[in-house]
Amino acid sequence: MKQLAELKNINKKYGKKKVLYDVSLNIKEKQVIAILGENGSGKSTFLRIAAGIERPDSGKILYAFKNMRTGYVPERFPKYLRFTPDEYLHYIGKINGIPEAILEQRISLLLRRFQLDKWSNRRINELSKGNIQKVGIIQAILQQPELLILDEPLSGLDISAQQELLSIISELKEQKTTVLLTYHEASIFEGIVDQTYYIRDGRLAEEMLTEKQGMKLIETKGFIDSDVEEWKEVLYSEKREDRLLLYVSSKNSNQILMRVLKSGGSIESVNSTDVNN
Amino acid sequence: MKDLIQYSLHDYVRSHKYFPPISTFFVLILVFYTYKPNPIIDSYAITALFLFVISTWLCLSVLSLDSPVQRQLMILHLGSSYRYYLAKLLTVALIAALLTVFAFLYPIIFNMFSDSVSPAVGFISFVNHLLLAVLGIGVAGFFSKVMMESAINAYGGLVLTIILSIAALGIENILPASFKYIVWLLPPATITQRQLIQWKGESLSGISYLPFLWIMIYAGVILLLFLILAKRRR
Repeated sequence: MKQLAELKNINKKYGKKKVLYDVSLNIKEKQVIAILGENGSGKSTFLRIAAGIERPDSGKILYAFKNMRTGYVPERFPKYLRFTPDEYLHYIGKINGIPEAILEQRISLLLRRFQLDKWSNRRINELSKGNIQKVGIIQAILQQPELLILDEPLSGLDISAQQELLSIISELKEQKTTVLLTYHEASIFEGIVDQTYYIRDGRLAEEMLTEKQGMKLIETKGFIDSDVEEWKEVLYSEKREDRLLLYVSSKNSNQILMRVLKSGGSIESVNSTDVNN
Repeated sequence: MKDLIQYSLHDYVRSHKYFPPISTFFVLILVFYTYKPNPIIDSYAITALFLFVISTWLCLSVLSLDSPVQRQLMILHLGSSYRYYLAKLLTVALIAALLTVFAFLYPIIFNMFSDSVSPAVGFISFVNHLLLAVLGIGVAGFFSKVMMESAINAYGGLVLTIILSIAALGIENILPASFKYIVWLLPPATITQRQLIQWKGESLSGISYLPFLWIMIYAGVILLLFLILAKRRR
């Protein structure tokens, strides 16, 4: 996998408060990377630096190529915009140099996918929080970015918009987009994340799976997926007549359950099991 | 660039923030030409000074249109903070140019002058309006939200600078000889006034262009400095 960007020894402080300490990260092409951490841990600052919006105090950011298309969804998308979603997205598209005909198609498709088409003629400052967030997401993906950065993108989104975002991210990943995102609680993203990092007190650490973690045995039915062995969260799978048994670590069980359901399968049972069994 | 200027103009119109500075400018011009006839060169010299002040106001309001997050997003989409701020400054310059046309044509259309405006006087007066508008934009950039987080400091600093710039000639007269050069640091808003008042307006060769050149250099330098510093403050 090609490297898209490299952040080397990034340090940042606001006034006297140091937010990031020597943070380094290699961002590879076609990956979904999650940055998790508590409030105030430095996640958003790190994302803004990765997007090139904010400058680090020291450290280097190396991009694989010049003028990389970067999409960024801020934690709080501006709510006082005086344009309609349609007008605003047209301006964003034109500023990005997207030809008018393509832009028109893309905007109408994305507005429909996020069910914003019926609101497309209302001003953004009159929309609900969730709909404003959808505009924020569309402006970031409109230009089909090579690097997409999402800071708490689920905030305010309803379930169908969350599913839409998930499917768009999967599509973008197929088209070689790398996604860097943060989220707070266990979410639907867990199923598509390739790598997870934690930021604690401004320091970055890769998630480690320990053998002591419990396991779950998920019994599924009506679920046929030849790629199941490639699901990295599935530690072991076994076919028994019309059922498929999946052994997964407890922490990944929710995302596997969702993935099974999304693939059209049903869950017969979920049981705790011991790693030595 | 063109799209961002269009975006900024559209946003400015929707915000209604244009109303206070532009209506003030119209009122100033209308009140100034209440009585007629008026001397051509002197009148244009004064309305150019009005435009200097109004341009600073316009610039502050245009630069405060985008929230910090929106500004970051726009810079990301443009791929350059330099282009973003340049587009904003050009937006103000465009509005100021329209006000220049109004200030120039209004007294001619409504016969407010004692005589007809010769091409030489018209040209110099028009250029003087444009130069002072650009100077106002440059000065305001330094006191905008981009450079100063505190609104009190920004407005206070700007008003003081405007007052000092307009009073520069008087200040120069009362300063001891060794301190007179300090006045050169102030924005040269009134530097062309003396030239214009002394000029008879017969031909373009009868006036010194150095004051005009100095405004150009001063405005150019502060605008460039603004663009460099604004980029660093990202």
